[in-house]
Amino acid sequence: MIAGKTWREIRVMALVYLLILELLAIPVILLWPDIYADLQRSTLLRNMGIDWLKRIGEGVGNRDSDLAYTNWSAVMLFFRSTNLVGIAAAVLLGTGLFAREREASTFEFLLARPVSRGSILWQKSWPCALAVTLPIFLVNASAPFWSRQIGYDLPQWELFLASLHAAVYVLCFLAFTTWLSVLSRVQAHVAFWVGGITVLQIGIYLTQRLRPYSLFRLADFEWYGPVLTGNTPAWQMFDPIRSHGYTTWLLLATALFYALAHRALRRAEL
Amino acid sequence: MNALAVAGLDVAFGPRAVLRGLDLTVARGELLGLVGPNGAGKSTLLRAFVGLVPRRAGAVDVLGLDPARQSLAIRRRCCYLPGETGVYQQMTGAAFLAFAHGFYPALQRALQERLLAQFQLPLRQRVRTYSAGMKQKLALVATLVPDVDLYLLDEPDRALDASVRFFLRDVLLDLRGAGKTIVLSSHHLSEIESLADRMEFLAGGALVAPDRIAAARARLRRRVRLHLAPGTALPPGGREFAREPDGTLVVETDADPLGWLAALPAERVRSAEVGTVRLEELYQLLLPGQPAGGAP
Repeated sequence: MIAGKTWREIRVMALVYLLILELLAIPVILLWPDIYADLQRSTLLRNMGIDWLKRIGEGVGNRDSDLAYTNWSAVMLFFRSTNLVGIAAAVLLGTGLFAREREASTFEFLLARPVSRGSILWQKSWPCALAVTLPIFLVNASAPFWSRQIGYDLPQWELFLASLHAAVYVLCFLAFTTWLSVLSRVQAHVAFWVGGITVLQIGIYLTQRLRPYSLFRLADFEWYGPVLTGNTPAWQMFDPIRSHGYTTWLLLATALFYALAHRALRRAEL
Repeated sequence: MNALAVAGLDVAFGPRAVLRGLDLTVARGELLGLVGPNGAGKSTLLRAFVGLVPRRAGAVDVLGLDPARQSLAIRRRCCYLPGETGVYQQMTGAAFLAFAHGFYPALQRALQERLLAQFQLPLRQRVRTYSAGMKQKLALVATLVPDVDLYLLDEPDRALDASVRFFLRDVLLDLRGAGKTIVLSSHHLSEIESLADRMEFLAGGALVAPDRIAAARARLRRRVRLHLAPGTALPPGGREFAREPDGTLVVETDADPLGWLAALPAERVRSAEVGTVRLEELYQLLLPGQPAGGAP
């Protein structure tokens, strides 16, 4: 019941999110030959003083055009789309999950239904989780088709791995936002907090020596580039002991935020 | 057998005690009316029955179950109407009812048809287009139609006009006749009196003792509200208690108000009302700190 209601409430947003991701993906793929030609002529990015921009410049300007295109995809389909649109979608969907119920005075009605609070959380969460993650897989599954239109190809398995990591990354933001939404009585306050933390992380990422400590380090070009080019095998993504295992850490963080949301909802007062 | 049994119930929100050592029992099939001023703890008590607020002390038994540990089982057998009308604005009326009723295995279809026929709600329209009264009617349909053992209704007559309140009274009496237990809170004293098997007055987080209520009501029944021709002197045995903004004179009599009224020259009396117990006057007499007027 609650899952169906949640899905009906978010389905239009989920569709718009899918379209935005797709509309962002298609031009950067189809325009790649012209962009690559421009990059070959320009040395601006490669000579940048900021090291991470320089690495992006070197990656997308590589003389091997297939490798350059894969790096370009890592930057545009994942680094840009995930951090820009994915986080925005997670925050937009997550903020209202419970805070809006309180604002609309329906929270008490909802809690008085003969259903456990854990079930309420689960039935509200999984449609949102599906709405923010499924479009990532769908859009990136369509990328090889558009790539073939310009004579390039993208590796399917690596594309799936990168999509999986992007989905977990966005899911982590959704779980965090959901937790804050359970705690808060005002939807705008949740958006303010998540937005503030995100802006702070961007600031940290753009500061040369602090960059390794930013959350965006978990989903930037230096992460997605090696995944898409096959230099980061799947086990390294998931093994936090023998490698960095970022995807596993993100999964654990997602589980932690979900557990915190569960605990907060169990204790929530009207 | 009791549907509800409360003993020494304490509920507090932080340092503020809302219910203090409350004792109450409601028999199965009984219709109990809860009356009390705002902040008396009526809503908190109803919420405590369904486990929506934690108790600090005391014991609560609802249909043989403890709300602290078995609130889900209680909510399967009980329908609760919150005091603040909680309806999803973006849904249509029909979608809201389907959602609200979908949680319960059995519905009273005949009652649903009766309510919808009387309320004439535009169920295909979104709830946000409804008036406050229509939203309350929708919430009532959502709450009363599930076939459960216990109905907890926090101000079910809020925002309803008199004719709908009378209809609702008939519906609640029918539900009680079908063996359902009903606890409701209201600010309409006369209507709750004509409806409920028993009435409890809640003030300051505790039930007011019945003898105090009886004394206060007896005193209020000795009051006469009347309009007199100018210059009319009051007969002995009655004294002016208050004068209301519309010129109504409130007289408190020492004994029989009808006898006192009969002592007035009939041509000097333009209107008179005897024996009416108004809720706000009852509050004045029962609540600590409220000005109670002259001696009883």
